[in-house]
Amino acid sequence: MTPSRRSFMMGAAALSAAVATPEMVRAAAAMDAARDWSLATADMEADVAPRAMRLVHGRAPRGLDGVLFRNGPAKFRRPGGSATHWFDGDGMMRAFRIHDGQVTLDARFADTAKRRHETELDAVVTPGFGTAGDSRARVGSSDDANAANTAVMVAGDEVWGLWEGGSPLAMDADTLATRGLVTLRDDLKGMPFQAHPRYAPDGTIWNVGTTGAQAVIWRLNADRSLHTAQVIPLPRASYMHDFTATERHIILVLQPWVAERQTMPFASRFAWRPSLGTLIMVVDKADLTQRRLCELPAFFHFHLGDAWSDPDGTIRFDVAASADAQFVMEGARILVQGQGVVPGEPAHLALVTLHANGRADMQTTEAAAEFPKGDPRRAGLRRDLTVHVAGERAGRPLATGIAVRDWSSGRSDAFEFGDDHVVEEAVFVPKPGATAEAEAWLVAPSVNLRQGVTELHAFEAGKVADGPVATWRADIALPAGFHGVWKG
Amino acid sequence: MKTLIRSCALAAILAVGALPALAQAPATPSAGRLALTFEVGAETGAIMVVLFDSEAAYSGGAPVRQARVDVAGGQRQAVFEGLPAGDYAARAFHDVDGNGRMNTNPFGMPTEPYAFSNNAVGNMGPASWDRARVAVSGDVAQTLTIR
Repeated sequence: MTPSRRSFMMGAAALSAAVATPEMVRAAAAMDAARDWSLATADMEADVAPRAMRLVHGRAPRGLDGVLFRNGPAKFRRPGGSATHWFDGDGMMRAFRIHDGQVTLDARFADTAKRRHETELDAVVTPGFGTAGDSRARVGSSDDANAANTAVMVAGDEVWGLWEGGSPLAMDADTLATRGLVTLRDDLKGMPFQAHPRYAPDGTIWNVGTTGAQAVIWRLNADRSLHTAQVIPLPRASYMHDFTATERHIILVLQPWVAERQTMPFASRFAWRPSLGTLIMVVDKADLTQRRLCELPAFFHFHLGDAWSDPDGTIRFDVAASADAQFVMEGARILVQGQGVVPGEPAHLALVTLHANGRADMQTTEAAAEFPKGDPRRAGLRRDLTVHVAGERAGRPLATGIAVRDWSSGRSDAFEFGDDHVVEEAVFVPKPGATAEAEAWLVAPSVNLRQGVTELHAFEAGKVADGPVATWRADIALPAGFHGVWKG
Repeated sequence: MKTLIRSCALAAILAVGALPALAQAPATPSAGRLALTFEVGAETGAIMVVLFDSEAAYSGGAPVRQARVDVAGGQRQAVFEGLPAGDYAARAFHDVDGNGRMNTNPFGMPTEPYAFSNNAVGNMGPASWDRARVAVSGDVAQTLTIR
């Protein structure tokens, strides 16, 4: 029972029965339900067989045809021990399949070594990002701890479940059955392949993986085969969840959350050193030894938007930036506890500008934001729009709305679902044959806390404030995922 | 999540180098016998096996026996005969490309298969003596997966 409900009940007890009506009690209970975001981090006990989602609002947009694959943790708690950090749940791949206006949902756990071992023990024992694990763990290589729970990329008839410290996990795109770990070349087996690959205009896919003050820069061909992988030194051992890229440059944002020891869980290695500031390393894609550094004041972040370059060489990209590392250290634990208050302020959307003369600045907006995403037709190229989830505030973790920032006008076009929803990352889905940036749909699920179900929403990218043009509702709730990708 | 394992240590411990063909000591009356059969994922190269008779030796000392299983030549088994009764633990790696060493990726993680007796798996490193320890008295046989 939350404090508000307790105080209401205590107050009600002090009043006469004639005043404290059953309706009032029910209304208070409903308010509690609206605040109970814990469904967003609930456990799934089994895979989800394909099922129809029912259109409950609007009309299915003509031409919106494809699959939204999404990944995220979906099993945290077991009788013999539980994950204590949001990033350590077992990965579950979700597929929202839209065809001829009909939507189906299916989901399947990544069949990892970690999940197999922990299922056998019925205990979470594997050390992870923030979960200590215990002596029953079986971790002979990083991929034995791979939760395959963070993001997804499409690769032919497969989707690859991505984590941060190990290999991609290939799954069948139709059945979501696990096929196995992906080794891009024998001598690169087990190298970390992070969760945020960047898609270049020429079809090349870039990605990173880090250990300490080293990063591997992956370059994949459009067919997902390996082009090259090269290790480069970093100026510091920052925690890096994401990177970004322009058409010509890789951009690594080295925040002052820095590895200082070799301990587990992984997060225990890092210390917040704001006096170090944030370093931004710009690396030439054509020659990874060519790099320059820019400095900004300290901020913490997980996620960046695609970067672009102006004709004069000025580089710009967006970031969901926080003041410090409280969320990763404490907030993400509270999310798994399913109760309590996430400390600190939510991340806000900001635009970083790296001027050609080496100066850097950062313009932070008033918009609470996570998961910044842009138009995939413009990845690495000049763009105006960034979609992000919105509405998170101190006292209510996780997003409640969706917004599009237009960097050219400075305007934000936002829609708020309210506290009854936990809104998940939105992807940009270009309309068939269209080229203008706003000629796209934004597709995002939410967990409808009041109804206790997962919904899928489609918005017009240029008319977000009008609300979803279509909403489909499942008959079950899946916990909130992290990242998705659209396959048209 | 970056490289989780202190991998260089693992690679060093497993790197037994080029070894002579199946080394066997003469049997003694109280001898035990440990036969390790390998299920491989590649048909090339050789499996290098080292056997230890104490936790101290297993943790960085000298092996009591070693063997080379010629996988390319069709062998799948290492047999250690004439072992005094006691506890033993084996480490093995499959030198798939036959270059005489355990290959690692650029971050120092092994890229060739390895295994420990009992099919033991470590916890953020090589399997511990406690997990890999085998009591040898008489004939003991194990099948180890190395792929």
